[in-house]
Amino acid sequence: MTGSADDPLIARIAEALRRPRAVRPGFEARVMAAVRAAPPRLPARAWAWLREPRVLAVSPLAGAAAAAVLAGIVIAGAWSATRLARAGGGAERAAAPTAGTAAVVRFVLAAPRARTVSLAGDFDGWDRSRLPMRREAAGIWTVDVPLAPGRYDYAFVVDGGRFVADPAAPPAVGDDFGRPTSVVTVGGGAARVAGGSL
Amino acid sequence: MRDDEPDGALVRRVLEGDTEAFAGLVARHRDRGLRFAASMLGDAAEAEEALQDAFVRAYRSLRTCRDPDRFGAWLLQILVNRCRTRGAGRRRRARLFVGDDGALERAAAPAGADPEWREEIDRALARLDPPQREAFLLKHVEGLDYEEMTRLTGARVPALKMRVKRACDRLRILLGEVPR
Repeated sequence: MTGSADDPLIARIAEALRRPRAVRPGFEARVMAAVRAAPPRLPARAWAWLREPRVLAVSPLAGAAAAAVLAGIVIAGAWSATRLARAGGGAERAAAPTAGTAAVVRFVLAAPRARTVSLAGDFDGWDRSRLPMRREAAGIWTVDVPLAPGRYDYAFVVDGGRFVADPAAPPAVGDDFGRPTSVVTVGGGAARVAGGSL
Repeated sequence: MRDDEPDGALVRRVLEGDTEAFAGLVARHRDRGLRFAASMLGDAAEAEEALQDAFVRAYRSLRTCRDPDRFGAWLLQILVNRCRTRGAGRRRRARLFVGDDGALERAAAPAGADPEWREEIDRALARLDPPQREAFLLKHVEGLDYEEMTRLTGARVPALKMRVKRACDRLRILLGEVPR
């Protein structure tokens, strides 16, 4: 059901646009060559392990220490991303990607008044529900995402509907829709933190 | 690949290590992806690049495809984003009508096509705002319902309905006087 049947002109336009487009010979071969050259995916068990929620039992003292470490990570992430942004083209200045390895990137957003926060980006088809972020102490939201080396656009989704760019990361360009997005560049192997505060 | 092998079966084969099974998914979803990207971007060569990019990203993220039997819908979601990132409707518009003859000459014209009518439509699409063009294509060409479009684009239903309406209104003005 296309909904255009009640308007003959729109129906004619749609019918014309549904006809196959011309394609240069060898398209499938070119795609498969690119696929074969693509970095390998994470093994299933590694992916499942990374995505599995965990509960850590910690003493109040250890909890306070963990909170301090987390705050340090947030500050360091914001500081490093800000430096990259100030340097101009921050994402490009990150470590050069190393083919064949993946890194776990921790995305962090300080949003004490948010009820829910999730992460969306071109690494998951901009699905706002696939990567919910966990609320930590003091309204800090985090999620760890394994990413192959490359450049990714992303945004935080606050309270289910509002896209928010990472305040501490370089802004993405080229989004026709005006949606605020940020850029993270993943190099090989090393863990990274991307994050800021609202 | 058997023609009746479901997408989900092909996806599972790829995930089990049979990379070549991905070629079946490419062959099956090529035409739909290409027609969307070409209409969205207005440039045949860039449409192929966007679609290739979408296929590669889909391959790399295949394990995150929650419903392998609906691989096509998932791929379209990735492709929509790739087209957005490539910035539909800027410098490419001039190339479509001036400098892109080579790509089209190398390919046979699809049977039953009316080149002049298609060209008029492409010109009109190029004059729509990208969000309106995207909503029109998803609704009237790809046949998605508004709930599917919401999941795919992230926009809410009322906004999508308004984009489709404005696109139709504009196309009626731009194409209503074209003799057929």
